[in-house]
Amino acid sequence: MEEIIVSVLQRTLVAGTPLLLGTIGEVLCERSGILNLGVEGVMSMGAVTAFIVTFATGSPWLGLAVAILAGMLISIVHAFASVTLQSNQVVSGLALTMLGLGISGLLGKPYIGTPLSVKMNTLPIPGLVDIPYIGRIFFDQSPFFYMAMVLAFIAWFILVHTSLGIKIRSTGENPRATETQGVNVSLVKYLCVIIGGGFSGMAGANLSISYSKSWIEGMTAGRGWIVVALTIFALWNPTRAVIGAFLFGGIFVLQYLIQPFGISPNLLAMLPYLATLVVLVAIGMRDSNKLNAPAMLGEPYKRGER
Amino acid sequence: MRLISRILAVSLFLMFCSGQVLAKNKLKAGFIYVGPIGDYGWSHAHDVGRKYAHDKLPWLESVFIESVAESDSTRIIDRFVQEEKVDVVFTTSFGYMNDTIKAGMKYPDTHFMHCSGFKQSKNVGTYFADLYQMYYLNGLMAGALTKSNKIGYVAAFPIPELIRHIDAYALGIRAVNPKAEVHVRWIYAWYGPDKAKEAAEALIAEGVDVLAFTEDTPAVIEVGQEHTEKGKQIYTFSHYSPMQAYGVDSVVSGQLVDWGIMYVKILKSLKDGTWNNKDMWWLAAEDAAILGGTFDEIINKKFIPDLKAVKVNTPDLGKQSVYDLVVKRYDQMKQGVEVFDPFVGPIYDNQGNLKIKKGARASKGDLLSIMYYVDGVVGSIPK
Repeated sequence: MEEIIVSVLQRTLVAGTPLLLGTIGEVLCERSGILNLGVEGVMSMGAVTAFIVTFATGSPWLGLAVAILAGMLISIVHAFASVTLQSNQVVSGLALTMLGLGISGLLGKPYIGTPLSVKMNTLPIPGLVDIPYIGRIFFDQSPFFYMAMVLAFIAWFILVHTSLGIKIRSTGENPRATETQGVNVSLVKYLCVIIGGGFSGMAGANLSISYSKSWIEGMTAGRGWIVVALTIFALWNPTRAVIGAFLFGGIFVLQYLIQPFGISPNLLAMLPYLATLVVLVAIGMRDSNKLNAPAMLGEPYKRGER
Repeated sequence: MRLISRILAVSLFLMFCSGQVLAKNKLKAGFIYVGPIGDYGWSHAHDVGRKYAHDKLPWLESVFIESVAESDSTRIIDRFVQEEKVDVVFTTSFGYMNDTIKAGMKYPDTHFMHCSGFKQSKNVGTYFADLYQMYYLNGLMAGALTKSNKIGYVAAFPIPELIRHIDAYALGIRAVNPKAEVHVRWIYAWYGPDKAKEAAEALIAEGVDVLAFTEDTPAVIEVGQEHTEKGKQIYTFSHYSPMQAYGVDSVVSGQLVDWGIMYVKILKSLKDGTWNNKDMWWLAAEDAAILGGTFDEIINKKFIPDLKAVKVNTPDLGKQSVYDLVVKRYDQMKQGVEVFDPFVGPIYDNQGNLKIKKGARASKGDLLSIMYYVDGVVGSIPK
């Protein structure tokens, strides 16, 4: 029994890590007032580029760096459309998803079924890994897990405790007032979208060079959409995203553990998506003032207009 | 002018004749694959077979198209017949069955070979290499090696082919270890490394120490190798392609398919006119189903001492080591199902009902429609 619990918790953290990485990026992006529905496509781009670079060079860290870069680059499309052109963010986000999935499918074709010989290995933290139970659960993980935890904390600290964070948040709440304070609202939005894309790229790399070491078309498997839901679940707070991501990761892992109890595998497979819906409904039914949603989320901002 | 036209006519006639001669000497085959040939599983194995036939048959020309959706084969067949002018089309997935039969009616002068189906017509034949015997042999080894008496199976879809494999595996396990149980997890994907991985991890967490699977990637083997490297020995069995390289400390054996000899036989029969539409269901006796995690050895050398150490009693061959038993059974299987077959009664399902009477052998039809777990498999088949 102990063995099962330790393993489930350990696997939960593994499965939740890409969700957490994506969610931190989306929180940052939405805090600046830009809704980005392109996460799925950007993740896929990150996955394929990380795989190709790792495959060619044998260095997973180089793969990760290129994936982050690729995520940032492709997100410029969304930033340009929603900030400079002030177009509908839902449309350009969806376009980004389709673009990302398409390009990555095309780039990845020759690599289907060819596994990597190296991958981002787990990094046991010396000393801490020997703690009974806790060590195996928390300190025998891949570098992605540690990075995600640290980045979640940094993102929270920046958003809540620094002047840069205030600029980002107020850009999402009231861009006009922010601009009168001398803040370059467009620049803040651009930065947040692009950095958010970097996080999604990182999440994709996590899938293709650490979680598994192969590329398949559609390997992001809807995780980008769960990230969008998780952002709401976390009420736009990176620390709460930690809880949400691992809750969702746990459901994925539990699927195979509770299968023998006669629960339909199809039902289990849809549990994460069902949970997404429940979260949306439950939060939607609460007092919307407490939701903490950025007031101008998804609204294009035009300078000097009333 | 008349001279020129006569020369033209003669040369045209000659060209036509030589064309005829060429067409008689060459045979062109078109292959339709359901997955990418790089899947390292099903489609990969078929393409290895196609290449093998190429090396063996100098008169063979071939074309292939990969990743063809099961509902999309008609378009590809049309293209093969009309533009590529192939003499035979191989449709290598179960879901192509009805479209292949329809194509057979549409193109009566072309031959069609459908893999894994059960419908034939005048110019449509079927072929399949079944691996259940190899799963039985894997089961013998799994039953001998397990310490926890919990043995895992990561399975793709609940269809008769997989049930047959799981049952044969369980029969093998029970033949050497009556206390061991088989735990099955369904992932509902032929190609889903992340699902196979989590299913394997869940099984290991529950105490399973031996894993077999039906999924087209080495994901399960990677999990076994990872745990073994960390100090917990997990035994795995490779599936379809030689995957031992992915888990040198974990893969004990496995099953391999040689489509090559089958394709050579089919193509030769088409060439010399002896082809017929009788279903070809090839097993160990035809050398289509092969034991091993690599083509070089039937059992990973690392585990041979362990298998030799376990002694087991059999009704027909007496007391001997599991290693010797595997070798002997494999040899018997190669002689034919009449000499030895796993599905000889009495066989009970896991509810205790007698399914195959004492001394009776399951027919091909029984095996192709089998939908019950034998004794030793835990749980029930999902609806």
